[in-house]
Amino acid sequence: MILVVGGAGAGKREYVRNLGWDESSIADGVIDDRPVIINLQDAVFNYRPESPEAADALLESLANKAIVVCDEVGGGIIPLERRDREARDACGRLCCRMAQRAEKVVRVVCGLPIIIKGEYP
Amino acid sequence: MRILLTGGAGSGKSEFAESLALAQARPLSYIAAMKPYGEESERRIARHRGLRAGKGFATIERYADMDSLILPTGGTALLECLCNLTANEMFDDAGAERDAGHNNDAVFEKIVRGQDALAAQCSCLIQVTNEVGRDAASYGDGTLRYIQLLGRINRALAARADAVYELVCGIPIQLKGTVV
Repeated sequence: MILVVGGAGAGKREYVRNLGWDESSIADGVIDDRPVIINLQDAVFNYRPESPEAADALLESLANKAIVVCDEVGGGIIPLERRDREARDACGRLCCRMAQRAEKVVRVVCGLPIIIKGEYP
Repeated sequence: MRILLTGGAGSGKSEFAESLALAQARPLSYIAAMKPYGEESERRIARHRGLRAGKGFATIERYADMDSLILPTGGTALLECLCNLTANEMFDDAGAERDAGHNNDAVFEKIVRGQDALAAQCSCLIQVTNEVGRDAASYGDGTLRYIQLLGRINRALAARADAVYELVCGIPIQLKGTVV
């Protein structure tokens, strides 16, 4: 699995398209049978984990994906709403867990794919 | 040696900080700056305690005034985290800014001086901070001043640090120096 992270609008989706994946392979914010998921953070926020560890339940259903794309949502001021705080933490922890399993972790910054785990290309 | 760790929420800062500390000189002190203020923070604190359990850290709960904290000489201290310390120093318990002039220079100087005082007592000081400036939401003036103040503290501490890392998905990205 390749884990792709970065801020909103950083160029993650374009990076995935450039790897050769077309729209029919890409699920947006939902975990289904398609091999690529983008906006994993939406799936985590909708799942509403009640503790940072609760989102680990999603780990198994993501294990067989070719590519998982997630916004980096941990920056900024701590959210006012508790469920947003929980989901933000859970999203970060889930990404940490996925990064351990991933053969490659790519952080997209200004459209530039920075490989932070694994080999180029 | 001074090491500064930054990164977003849930990015793996604590775990990396502990692994760094375990490779450094004993005794190990953990300085907890987060005030327990309810069930949610109690749970966060419990989770952090669980992560540290059995690793030999002596926990010191200290929410402010690091400039007068006495540490065991020559050991390693892990401070978590500067975002709590800064909030505790900047705002009173009612959430009002202590500095009526909103200048916060004295808070900045106190915190930096406090970190220098800790570093002077340790062979290794590991500081955990946070990326509070990285969102596009609009906030009230006090919060905006907090973001600016913590950013200023982060810059000053990074300038003093021998090594700075940003954690991304649990992966340490080296921004400055190396840890020997």
